[in-house]
Amino acid sequence: MTLLEPHDLTFMAGAPYLYHCHHYNLFHDQTVDDVLGEEAGQRVRFEAARAAYHGLLAPLSARLDKRTPAERIELAQELFRATGHGRMSLDITADGGTARGEYLHYGYTWSEKYGDAVRRLETADAVAAGFAAAATQVAFGLPDGSIGARERQCVARREPVCEFALSRRTPGPGIAAPVTEEDFKRHLGGSRGGQHEEQIGAIADALQGFVKGVGGDERGLVDAFGVFVTLHLANYYDQTAYEAVRHIEQAAPSSVGLCEALLREAGHVCVFNTFGGILASPEWEAVAYPLSGDPLEIIKGGAAIARGLGFGRWSVDEYVPGQRLVMCASSNYEAPFYLARYGRSDKPRCYFFQGAALAIMVLAHRVKWQEKPRLSQALYNELFRGAGLGFEVTANRCATRGDDCTEVVVRAT
Amino acid sequence: MNEPVLAAAAREVASLRAVLVTAMPDCLLFDSWQRDTAGWADEEVATYFGDLVRSNRSALKSLGSWSSEMQVTIESADSIILLNEIDTHFVCGCIFERGAPLGMARLHTRRLIEQIRESLPRVEVEERPRAVRVMEFLHRYAPDPHTVTMRVALRAGLPLASLEKPEALDDRQAEALENAAKAILGLQTLNV
Repeated sequence: MTLLEPHDLTFMAGAPYLYHCHHYNLFHDQTVDDVLGEEAGQRVRFEAARAAYHGLLAPLSARLDKRTPAERIELAQELFRATGHGRMSLDITADGGTARGEYLHYGYTWSEKYGDAVRRLETADAVAAGFAAAATQVAFGLPDGSIGARERQCVARREPVCEFALSRRTPGPGIAAPVTEEDFKRHLGGSRGGQHEEQIGAIADALQGFVKGVGGDERGLVDAFGVFVTLHLANYYDQTAYEAVRHIEQAAPSSVGLCEALLREAGHVCVFNTFGGILASPEWEAVAYPLSGDPLEIIKGGAAIARGLGFGRWSVDEYVPGQRLVMCASSNYEAPFYLARYGRSDKPRCYFFQGAALAIMVLAHRVKWQEKPRLSQALYNELFRGAGLGFEVTANRCATRGDDCTEVVVRAT
Repeated sequence: MNEPVLAAAAREVASLRAVLVTAMPDCLLFDSWQRDTAGWADEEVATYFGDLVRSNRSALKSLGSWSSEMQVTIESADSIILLNEIDTHFVCGCIFERGAPLGMARLHTRRLIEQIRESLPRVEVEERPRAVRVMEFLHRYAPDPHTVTMRVALRAGLPLASLEKPEALDDRQAEALENAAKAILGLQTLNV
């Protein structure tokens, strides 16, 4: 694991990674499916996960000198558990086989979050399916795209276990290689901080040290800050989000705004649940400061947490209490992927950063932190429901467009 | 119905906690009575009662065993809840204390329904467009309700503005809306 320090971006065997919670992960996948439909959504998510994990497991196996299929399978299973995705047992040969999952992050947490409210007809574990396929490919030295996977049973469908059938395929044309640390470096500009840099940097350092020590429990889940956390691959998030956007731009241009709005909403979901959970935790008091009710504490905390989770170097350029926040990301995990995969954009594309910055302002001004609120779905709905939001966000600059950084302005409405 | 009718009907039944009358098919609260102020919202509970009776009716019909005398009985930790169709336009939900004998609760409910039936207005209920009811159903039951309109618009390929006036959707659009609603809720059919 390496930290590209001036940019607060993290890599494992050259694969960019970061931390996201189950609320965000489920909402992200849901948005991809809303845009693409269930069938194409599942396919895009599976292929993105397979490519991302192939891009991690192949170099990782080589670096750790895991040469035999058995060694590589063991490594993959342990990595999956340690990164909070659940437990996976692989029973595979070079032609495929079966995989069985327990406490899989997506299926299990979907059931926990939504299972009592709605029924699910489709399986939920495209990421685990992609992982199982990639692990098989890497174990037997096959190129990416050689193994297909189908989730036959899923706990999110109220079936007893999650089970996958893996089979050999001929890799299709045009499978894009995942974006690597080297690609990121090529597309990153200079690093810079902003206001309160010393304090934000110190908290971020402490958080980075803290999360490095976090690992999956006996279930293979990371249960922390009131959420289930995963160490996840940037390639997965970026590829699925941008493929969804590109699809809607072709198929239904008038609906692009809806897709972008939901990708920003995913930023709200993340900040409310994960950032909020961290800010409300005893660990936060240990590494930062107790919350006195001053909104600036949340603004600074937001930038520090983003860095601590591997989202990039987020900083505060300007802050007028209750009125205006200018946040800058001299690096993030969205822009380098976009530039490496698609080239320059003609418009801002860092949707997650846009939504997250807005949500940080909402958390700073509309949550009474001294009262130690419960970060419930009801509170989320109250804070982020349409007209009640109280703030709006616009992107001034965006690295995907060739600007030297990504900058957003959050204003009171 | 004015309040004294329900209150009078319920007064003599000591174990009765509340009565709610739901207007169908929209599952809207028509009238209610509570012995003591409870911690629930009558409008919300009446809606769920209406949906429960409708689902029960559909399930029984699919089994070929529906009759107009059907009754839904729920025995929860602190209540016995009996749901009955008064007629095609109204559902009656009676909430009894948990300790009430079930047989007595059923007997009281039958008597209450007779009294309530007499006082119900004799009106023709005008059914609202199905698309309107589908949107209301979604807002009640979909996860993340604040995003549901956007989600439906994407899935159905409909402009967001059109979903703000679902009564104006044409048949093809209404079908697309319903399919999107089923996908979001994970339902094979939508009983609204």
